Amino acid sequence: MTGPILEIRELRAGYGPRTVLENISMTLAPGDWFVLLGPNGCGKSTLLDCVVSRMIPSGGEIRIAGHALSTDPYEAKLQLGYGCAPDVLPGLLTSRQCLEVHAGAKGLAAIGDDLFALADELKFTAYLESFVDTLSLGTRQKLAVLLALVGDPQLIVLDEAFNGLDPASALVLKRHLRTRIERRRGALLLATHSLDIVEHYADRAAVLIDGRLKHAWSKDELQELRANGGDFEAAIALAIGEPES
Amino acid sequence: MTAPRLAAAKLIRLNRRTHLMVKTVAVVFCLGTLIALFWMQRDSLEQALKWLRLHGLPCAALAAIASAFLTARRRSLKRTEYALSWLAAVPVTDRAARWEPLVIEILPAIAAIGVLGVLSMACALVLALAGRAEIFTPLAIEAYLGGGIAAGIIGSYLVPQPKPVILPPGSRYVPHPRVRRAGGVRPSLRALGAWPIRQMFAWAQPKIVSRASIPILIMMPMGTTADAAMVVIALFANLGALLLLWSAVISASRAARSWLAPLPAGRGAVIRAFLLPASAVIVAAGAMGALLLLVFNVSYGTAAQLGACTALIGCLTVGGVLVWNFRPRRTP
Repeated sequence: MTGPILEIRELRAGYGPRTVLENISMTLAPGDWFVLLGPNGCGKSTLLDCVVSRMIPSGGEIRIAGHALSTDPYEAKLQLGYGCAPDVLPGLLTSRQCLEVHAGAKGLAAIGDDLFALADELKFTAYLESFVDTLSLGTRQKLAVLLALVGDPQLIVLDEAFNGLDPASALVLKRHLRTRIERRRGALLLATHSLDIVEHYADRAAVLIDGRLKHAWSKDELQELRANGGDFEAAIALAIGEPES
Repeated sequence: MTAPRLAAAKLIRLNRRTHLMVKTVAVVFCLGTLIALFWMQRDSLEQALKWLRLHGLPCAALAAIASAFLTARRRSLKRTEYALSWLAAVPVTDRAARWEPLVIEILPAIAAIGVLGVLSMACALVLALAGRAEIFTPLAIEAYLGGGIAAGIIGSYLVPQPKPVILPPGSRYVPHPRVRRAGGVRPSLRALGAWPIRQMFAWAQPKIVSRASIPILIMMPMGTTADAAMVVIALFANLGALLLLWSAVISASRAARSWLAPLPAGRGAVIRAFLLPASAVIVAAGAMGALLLLVFNVSYGTAAQLGACTALIGCLTVGGVLVWNFRPRRTP
């Protein structure tokens, strides 16, 4: 795959008469770890909901691995892995059954061993037979991420996926995601508030303010920031036009 | 803020007032229907009111006992909820701390007295229009029952305090699936079918089932044999399970719609995965209902017809709910 993994063109979305996203355009190339930053309520989750087809945008186009989400949703979703919020997971299914449903929906014959290796590393294997409603927040978060990785998708979309994870598990997951997108030549779209991810892992980043992409950092710009001992907080404050504290 | 819980409840009601007109029309419609029913059955109504008037004191005693236990239980539930609520740390004056919980705890009992008042007025209106002499009988019954409920509110402080209510995870009441060897995952949508059935078990907790069977036992006429009572309870349990399963399918399929939206699963496959196990349970419940009716000396033909109708209506409604919940979405 040489073309872009994710293309968003002039996306518009909202709730009823309220417009939340206005004229969003962005592209994720193979190997991109893209971080979406922004204050609470700026539209990050709405943008991700549009990308994973949990919400239908009122305008614009989304293409995943070359397939338009509106006209070819099956092929587009085959290349998509989404880590949903832990409270969306079905409480009365076991973790194993959640994995089975995701793999069944993607038409897989089996789940790759690398996913079980990751589950082992995250110390999740012991919870495979547990009902989801008995799992802690962090364990549910691990399950949500594992579900996103079922079928080795080209585009991984995660919304605040490191919330509730212990530091060791978060580190394991960040390294795994880095390796996975490089090996697969896939892309990761992550909405988060943690600047350490921008600092250490992201290839590109953007700030969303009031439903518009206010500023974006390219790979080179982020590398330059890192090389200069990067004060990412100051860079973001500058980008959104707020005085540095 | 003197009474934070009541103030919050009032604000929530204000936020929902868009449906006020619909609710008002629905209440007026229900009341009109009730008066029409009372009018059509005015002779039976008069007989029933006479019986209630004659047994006013035992009925009042029953109302008092029910009111005492239900109010005590609500007190326990509301105290637990308050301790865990977002308003738990809000400062409340001593005066408000006394009257606010009291209002919250006795609100359903007061509402019950109000509903009884409306019913008695409707009965009195029907009797007056029919030119019957006993137009004050409903008001006397209302006084008995209302007095019983009010006495029950006071009595609720005398009954033993129920244990604090702690809601366990729903899966505690669900049969646990057989543990398979670690590592092996068989990709399939079949697990979706187990979801509503487990939800049904999670809702039908033993405590709720035992409480639900008490009014059924009370409704049995004196002299009912134990075997007849068992059959009636089994019929109610069967019907209850069907209703719970129907609600569980609605709830689970709505939740699944959001969870499965990013997946490339076809609508037909998802609907089938939900529908087949639920339909199997509904058909089994229909067959069980028919068997119970046979035990109850209903003819073979009637029992089979009722069982088949229950199964058919159950499967069709569940199918309809699934098709509706997994309908294609339109661009806003």
